[in-house]
Amino acid sequence: MNQLIESAKDIFQNNKAAIIIGYTKDKSGRTKPFIAHNSDEAEKLTFNHHAVNNLAVYLTRLEKPKDGKIGIVAKGCDIRAINALIQENQIRRDDVLIIAMNCNGVVENQNEEFSKENTQIKCKYCQLRTPNNYDFLLGELEDFELPEDSQQELMNKLEAMTPEERWNFWESQFGNCIKCYACRQVCPLCYCEQCIVEKSMPQWIETSSTTRGNFSWNLIRAFHQAGRCIGCHECERVCPMDIPLTLLTRKMGMIAMKEFNYKHGMNINEPTLIGTYSTSDNEDFIK
Amino acid sequence: MKSFIVTRSQINSLAAELLSKNWSIFTQSEDRKRFKQCESESEISVDGNGKPSDVSFKELFFPKSETLFYFNRDNEELTLLDPAEPGTKTVIFGAKPCDAASVPVLSKVFNWDYNDEFFNKRVENTIVISIACSYSDESCFCTSVGLSPFSEIGSDLFLIPTEKDSFILKIVSEKGEKFINEFPFMIQKEFEGTFDLENQKASFPKEKFDFASVKEWLGKNFKDEIWNEVGELCLGCAQCAYVCPTCHCFDIVDENCGVSCGRRVKNWDSCQFGLFTKHASGHNPREDQSRRYRQRVNHKFNYYKQRFDEILCTGCGRCTRGCPVSIDIAQVLEKIQCKQSAAIV
Repeated sequence: MNQLIESAKDIFQNNKAAIIIGYTKDKSGRTKPFIAHNSDEAEKLTFNHHAVNNLAVYLTRLEKPKDGKIGIVAKGCDIRAINALIQENQIRRDDVLIIAMNCNGVVENQNEEFSKENTQIKCKYCQLRTPNNYDFLLGELEDFELPEDSQQELMNKLEAMTPEERWNFWESQFGNCIKCYACRQVCPLCYCEQCIVEKSMPQWIETSSTTRGNFSWNLIRAFHQAGRCIGCHECERVCPMDIPLTLLTRKMGMIAMKEFNYKHGMNINEPTLIGTYSTSDNEDFIK
Repeated sequence: MKSFIVTRSQINSLAAELLSKNWSIFTQSEDRKRFKQCESESEISVDGNGKPSDVSFKELFFPKSETLFYFNRDNEELTLLDPAEPGTKTVIFGAKPCDAASVPVLSKVFNWDYNDEFFNKRVENTIVISIACSYSDESCFCTSVGLSPFSEIGSDLFLIPTEKDSFILKIVSEKGEKFINEFPFMIQKEFEGTFDLENQKASFPKEKFDFASVKEWLGKNFKDEIWNEVGELCLGCAQCAYVCPTCHCFDIVDENCGVSCGRRVKNWDSCQFGLFTKHASGHNPREDQSRRYRQRVNHKFNYYKQRFDEILCTGCGRCTRGCPVSIDIAQVLEKIQCKQSAAIV
């Protein structure tokens, strides 16, 4: 990844950014998030098929550097998160320096070699392999056909269920939730300073890991993502209990597309779906 | 204590008999997510090769949500009601040594200034049958915290696979001895040889850091750049704490069960959450993630040792495997050891 390192060093040498959020390989061979603060540290940057994290999450978590922009290495799905944060007025485009990567798909398991078949679900329906908003664009796009979208099958199965069957499905899934809130912390669009589960006067959402408490948390999380989720699948990737969380957020994204022809995080100049109202909005789907 | 030779089919018979006597049986699930309750003896997993479950078996002793009592107000009268006592006799089959070792570590804190009757009752009612571990990956570090793949600490009975479907069954605790004596078919063939542990040591995970040096450094370096390095990457979820066999923090809340009744519940909590130390005044002494991560490391490798003479870690590596941003705690401790070595020179 010489191209990336060269660009990063150039950015530091010419003071184009104060830090660069990117990926590095640790001594055990794991590719993981890394923050370079200077040209020497830029040597450690890498990008490969295991660069799975959505680094846009750090844009609202890190303190804004006093002396320059935040540089960020971003794949297409990460770019959608950055775009969404700009659309939602959480960051300003001028405050970030985007080093975009053409992406040929990522694989979740660090010990697995990349192949078309084991790419993350999100790669299977990715429409932004070449990012659409950047300061630099690096990497070569390899020619490959998107693999079969395996999640679609499960979505169809859920669609075909009766409400009772669907309730039972989610009851057994949410039953596993241990409330570690990794899904929330890893989500680039979960940036509230105080999450509703932390409001305790009154306690709106029960903190217990019971059926009621788990439904409350997981459904409120999903609702807050309605038409906002940009589909990076980080929540599902990090869930220690493997709850298929993106079934809910992806489904809502599909509804937003079908009913309002809207897809979040695609264009920084487009007003957000939730933030706009039009008298011609379709209401047919509200039952 | 004595050891015996047992076969896989004898272990299955033991499980079948326990089930017929209404014991609860837990074992690692096939997908190695967590410990699940078995309905049939065929589900028992005694597999030394497998990866440790993603979530430890802690929840069998210290559930993620536990009712302390119920309360009910009828007109002006308030009545309190105890929850059902955790009375089920339980056997855990195929725990890893890094799981089992957590039970005595947790017992110290749960019997410190107050005896946690819920935890104690569960420990009293549970027999832990562990199995020698032949798995290791880049996240394992049991040998750095004074344990090994053959540690029997916290187990009542210990299995060492010998040949296919055959095991040495070591009796470790008095509770284990009393238990197994109830099942004479398990103690028919005494193992009289000696098991050569030295031979196995070459395959143990490599020691990654020296605990004593790490502890010494932690005691002297509350403020250091390393906490910012990790803190800026840590996202502040509680996955590390919740999959950990030794993390034991909890929160106590009241919840309603209806219009005039409710319950007081003990729920898992974690020092990695911002809310954990936030005062009612709004002040937060651990206001950022670097301070919270420092607390996690100090509690495990410094404070707990001082107070209870135990390391609050069994080196199972679950926190590292599960971390959304792949923070490797052993690598952090290795770095700390380097700092300590440099300080001595």
